[in-house]
Amino acid sequence: MGKAVVIGSGAGGSIAAMELARAGWEVVVFEKGPNRFSNIDGEGPIGTTFSNDDLKMGTRNFAGPDPLVFPRTWRPNATVPAQYTGAVNELPQLVGGGTVHWDAKVPRFWDIDFQQLSALGPVPRADMADWPFGYADIAPFYDEVEKLIGVQGDVHAMPAVVLRHAPRTGQFPMPPGPQQRASVAVAAGAAAVGLHAFPFPMAINSQPYNGQRACNDCGFCSGYGCPVMARPAALIPLRLALRTGRVRLVPETMVTKVQLTGSGAAARATGVSWVRMTSGGPVTGAEGADLVVLAASAIETVRLALLSSFPDASGKLGSRLMMHSFVDGTAIFLDERMHAYRGRSTTQCAEDAADPDFPGARAFAKANGLPYIRGGIMELGGSQDVLSEAQAYQTLLRFTRSGKPFGTDFKQLMRSSILRDRLAGCSLVGDDLPYLGHTVTLDPTVKDVFGLPVARITWSAGKYEQVSAQFWIPRIKQMMAKAGAAVAFAVPETINSGGLPTGSHIMGGMMMGANQATSVTDSHGRVHGLDNVYVCDGSVFVTSGAHNPTNTIMAVALRNMRHLLPM
Amino acid sequence: MLGASGCTAPAGRPAAGRFFTSHEAAVVEAATARIAPGPADDPAEAGHPGAREAGVTGYVDMMLGALGALTGPSPMVFAGGPWSNRHTSGPDPMARFIALDPVTIIAWRKRLDGWRNAYRDGIATLDRLAGGDFTAAAPGEQDKILARQDVSEFTSLLFEHTIEGLYANPEYGGNRGLAGWTDIGFPGDIQPLGYTPGEVERSDGRDPMANAGIVADVLKFLGAV
Repeated sequence: MGKAVVIGSGAGGSIAAMELARAGWEVVVFEKGPNRFSNIDGEGPIGTTFSNDDLKMGTRNFAGPDPLVFPRTWRPNATVPAQYTGAVNELPQLVGGGTVHWDAKVPRFWDIDFQQLSALGPVPRADMADWPFGYADIAPFYDEVEKLIGVQGDVHAMPAVVLRHAPRTGQFPMPPGPQQRASVAVAAGAAAVGLHAFPFPMAINSQPYNGQRACNDCGFCSGYGCPVMARPAALIPLRLALRTGRVRLVPETMVTKVQLTGSGAAARATGVSWVRMTSGGPVTGAEGADLVVLAASAIETVRLALLSSFPDASGKLGSRLMMHSFVDGTAIFLDERMHAYRGRSTTQCAEDAADPDFPGARAFAKANGLPYIRGGIMELGGSQDVLSEAQAYQTLLRFTRSGKPFGTDFKQLMRSSILRDRLAGCSLVGDDLPYLGHTVTLDPTVKDVFGLPVARITWSAGKYEQVSAQFWIPRIKQMMAKAGAAVAFAVPETINSGGLPTGSHIMGGMMMGANQATSVTDSHGRVHGLDNVYVCDGSVFVTSGAHNPTNTIMAVALRNMRHLLPM
Repeated sequence: MLGASGCTAPAGRPAAGRFFTSHEAAVVEAATARIAPGPADDPAEAGHPGAREAGVTGYVDMMLGALGALTGPSPMVFAGGPWSNRHTSGPDPMARFIALDPVTIIAWRKRLDGWRNAYRDGIATLDRLAGGDFTAAAPGEQDKILARQDVSEFTSLLFEHTIEGLYANPEYGGNRGLAGWTDIGFPGDIQPLGYTPGEVERSDGRDPMANAGIVADVLKFLGAV
């Protein structure tokens, strides 16, 4: 075996490093961000400086990236210049990647997600396609990931529609933990409108697992690093990789280019160039490699492929960028404080909205000139933290008290807590179709702290996504009203963001496929035209599914690497 | 009223701080007390500590003053972890601030440079609009100035930092005596205690509130969405 370089230490990179090291490769893992953990390569509990601190996480970018040094730009379509520079749907930038801030929701994609073209047919203007494998092929890897990182759930509580589209061979490794009052209340509303809620499968320890603690429901969950390491996720495969003694983890170091040699069928990578900031300025270097694995997350992997001038026979490199089209539902309770600040955020979910045959969905699609529509999984019962709540009132007072948008009105709102302690939410993770015009390109003018062009995102919600939202919004409102809310409303998340994509679910750009004329990587993530370069992150996704993507990223990474290294 | 430890001087006599001159501190104290008033600032807030009592001026001063200490052992940007032991006994690792990596230092130098300029200019503008000294203006006049469109960029920043100084973890220099959290009934950081299954699952019981005043207006606005 030779030497491999893995770029990124998150969901995909950690799995790749583990598999390569187990097969005997020497592995160097480059991570752009810092390491906020201790004892990753030891035994027993992993240490961390993450804490119950919304200023550190929500406002000050403790998990990074800081948009003042690593910005992105965004434009709604390719006919206009970038109109925003800053944070655009960032994932954390540190050891552990997106599995640090996630609330560890791990629903499986459905069978029809992997065969969306053949199962559901084409959609106007979208680049619909099937994945190069089906649910039955990926299911064993889902099983393996669940055992590896530790997942709680209850197969017996799962509704028939879920088990029909994503069948399981057995029970989850751990039982569900306590169910949040707010989630259960919204779940009752869901049942009243024909939806089927159940305990959300999540990679959070409900009992000690992997030598790490059980969750104690501190409530600082979604958007936070776990202070007790009850959802270590990528750190588990990373630990297994490091403990082989063949893996070197290099944080605070950004790979700037994959070095290529040869052309045509002989083209391959010889290693990578990197840059690291020091107190004396940037320092550069290089690392030779026999194998290179890109796992920097969808947007940054594409950016690196573009900076490295990867071959692109299909013309699809960087296109088909998918975000989930979130719809935010809000229920406000005037008779009770729902205390969603306690517990793992959104302990209940419903998957009915992922079903194109949900009663009324086909007719609504047809009336709007579409063959079908799908929403996606609903996360039931979350709320927001105190600083976000206060910022929401700051905004709302401008509309309701323009003459004096501050003062005792602000403090009365804080004490009422209508937008936190009396709030129970619903996030609909909407299917976002692949469009050739939704892209990651290199920005022509904006540079990062190292002087390299940043990723320019071109994306806006398409007709399919908007029609799906319009179908589901009244149903979410009904659900919230049935749950006992005094006030219920629901809006596409992009209304609140001014069109910017939100939700931190990013997929596509390095599409997998069997045919190199129509895809960027082969059916195991190897870049077409580059013999020894693999991709192990969400960029290889063919469609976005209708579910939180991280466990699918891990399962696909495992499948990609297992194929490379038959055991 | 909530203890004299912390970075700010007693209400009414702000001292020069890490960044602010004593006059600048007095202007920030007066302005943030209009944004988030306490008992001394608005009769409706009797019994409810505000920016003054929570030490918001000290919070902002500590943040802006962090620039000089960015490369030191404990720049006050990221409080430590994994907990403070506020609800338990033991040391407070949160009080040990985390060393910054070189890229983060560059980002925060840029951010704090921008904010320092915004405060120097914004405070001067508030003074000018008040005829020379913002702190000498009557509360009603201060409100009018703070509501002006042409200072909204600065007052938005002041509002954001008032929020942080009231409700962020007290290690950052605000939320003195947990005044902000106490007023809204929020326990704050709870690790390593966490919550029991019962506290997660059970209702806390009926707690009806009136749909009136600002709450009613906000709900009406949201309901129309």
